[in-house]
Amino acid sequence: MAERDPAAGEPSAAHTIREFTHGYEEERRLRGFRSASCGFVTATWGLVCPRCGRADLEEAALSGEGRVAAFTIQTVPSEEFVNDAPYAYVLVDLDEGGRVSGWMPAVRSDGDLAIGDRVRWVPSYKAGVQFEKA
Amino acid sequence: MPRPVWVLGAASNRFGKMAETGREAAARVSLEAIRRAGLEPKEIGYTFVSNAFGLAERQAHVGPLINTALGIPEVPSCTIESACSSSSAALHEAYVHVAGGFHDAALVVGVEKLSHLDTLTATSYFAIGADYPFESHNGATFPGLYATIANAHMHRYGTTSDQLGAVAVKNHANGALNPHAHFQKPISMETYRSSPVIASPLRLYDCCPFSDGAAALVVVAAEKYPNPVTEPVVIRASARAGSIADMHDRPELTGLPASQRAGAEAFRQARLVPAQVDFLEVHDCFTIAELVALEDLGFFPRGAAGPATAEGVTARDGKLPVNPSGGLKAKGHPVSATGASQVVEVFEQFNGLAGRRQVPKAEVALAHNVGATGSSASVHLFSRR
Repeated sequence: MAERDPAAGEPSAAHTIREFTHGYEEERRLRGFRSASCGFVTATWGLVCPRCGRADLEEAALSGEGRVAAFTIQTVPSEEFVNDAPYAYVLVDLDEGGRVSGWMPAVRSDGDLAIGDRVRWVPSYKAGVQFEKA
Repeated sequence: MPRPVWVLGAASNRFGKMAETGREAAARVSLEAIRRAGLEPKEIGYTFVSNAFGLAERQAHVGPLINTALGIPEVPSCTIESACSSSSAALHEAYVHVAGGFHDAALVVGVEKLSHLDTLTATSYFAIGADYPFESHNGATFPGLYATIANAHMHRYGTTSDQLGAVAVKNHANGALNPHAHFQKPISMETYRSSPVIASPLRLYDCCPFSDGAAALVVVAAEKYPNPVTEPVVIRASARAGSIADMHDRPELTGLPASQRAGAEAFRQARLVPAQVDFLEVHDCFTIAELVALEDLGFFPRGAAGPATAEGVTARDGKLPVNPSGGLKAKGHPVSATGASQVVEVFEQFNGLAGRRQVPKAEVALAHNVGATGSSASVHLFSRR
C-alpha cells in the first residue's frame, strides 16, 4: 500500500455504506460527512466531496431536524415498501446544512404536508431514514 | 480534428410488447438499419449494444449473439450501460470510434424487454437505477424521484398540473401518428385529469410506460461513403455529462445539471444556438422531465416551458416541435432502446419518412437522453448535409 498523503485529510473510506444504513436503523445515529473545505454536508457515503472535489470529508453528526424541500405521496411502491403505501417520500433540508432523502409513513395524502414544513428524524428499525412532523 | 460522421441508416420495431426475445428483436432491427443504409453486415467494424436490464431475460453478453445472427461473429462488440441513456451513450462511443478513425462503420443497437415482469418487479428494477441504499431504500421509486422535481418546480415557478397534462396530450397526439409507438391513441385533457395518481403530483398519464422495443443505427465515416443512398444524419455534436448521482445532494431540484452541461457542450461543439434547432426529441420519461429538459437546454427560461407547452409552441405544427415521435410518453420507453430510437425519428424526419407526423422544417435536430434522474445525460445535435 502506498503511503497516504497526510495533506489529503482523513480517509472517509473508514466508513462503509453498511455503517450508514446500520447507523440509522440499529445504532440510532444519522451519519453524515462535512467537507472541511467547502462546508458541504451530506448523508450519502463517499470518499471525496462531490461538490468541491477535495478528500477532506469529516464525520458530522446530523441532528435530523429540518424543513421539507420537496415531497411526493408514493402510491405505487417498490417491493421494499409494498406494505407501507401510501406514504410520503421527502427531501429534507437539515438545519445544519445538507439535504437527505427519507420517508414519512404517517403522511398519506398531499394535504398532510407542505414544502417548508418542519420535520424531524425518527430513529427506527424499519427501512431507511424516517421522518415525522416536528 | 475528428472525421465527419453520419448516421446513414436507422430502424426501430414497434414499441410495446414483444413476443420475441431481446436478441431476436435487436438482430432484426440491426439488419434493417444496415440495409436501409445500403451496407452489408460485413462492413460493420464494431457493434455497440445497450441492454441495461438484459438480466431480466436471464441473458448477458448479448453482443456476440447479435453479431453471430448477423453473420459477423468475428466483429468485436461490447455492452454500454447508462440506465435510460444507454443507447445514446452507445452512439457516443460509436461516434468516438468512427470519428477517431478506428473503424469506418459501427452498429449501435439498443434493446429492452421487460413486459414479462409484473408492475411491482419492474418498478423495483427501475429503483435499482437510482442510488439504492440512499434513495430507493429511503422510500423513493423512479416516478417518486421525478415527482419531487415536479413538486419543487410547481412550488418555485408556478408550473401547473394542466401544463404537465399539456405535455401528455401533445405527445399522445404525436404518438398516434407514429407506427413505431407503443400508444397510438390521442388522449384528452379530461382523460389526463381523471387518471390515477402514481406519485403526487404525477398521474398515470404523466408517466411513460414500461415498453419492450429495439432500435438500431448505422454510424459511418462520411469520407468512406461518398454516395449515400439515404439523406445522411450528420452528427454535429455528441456530448455527454454526469452530475451528483443522488438528487438530494445536488444544488438544485428544478433542473438537471448533467443536461445543462451536456447541452452547453453540444452547442459549443456544433457551433449552433438553440434558435437554429428545428425540432427536438427530449427525454420525457415523465411530463415534468420534458419541461425541465427544455429549460435546461436553453430553449426556455426557467418556469416558461409549461406555459409555452400549454400554448402549443411545442406542438408538431408549433414554432418548436418537441417529441414529434410521441416521446417516451407515447412512443414508449424500452430503456436501452430509447436513445437510439430518438435518432431513428431524426433519420425518418430528415428523410421525409415520417408520414403524417412530418415536421414543417427538418434540417437541424437535437436529441436529449437522460440516465436515471439525471446522473447521466447525452445531447446530440444533427443536421442535414
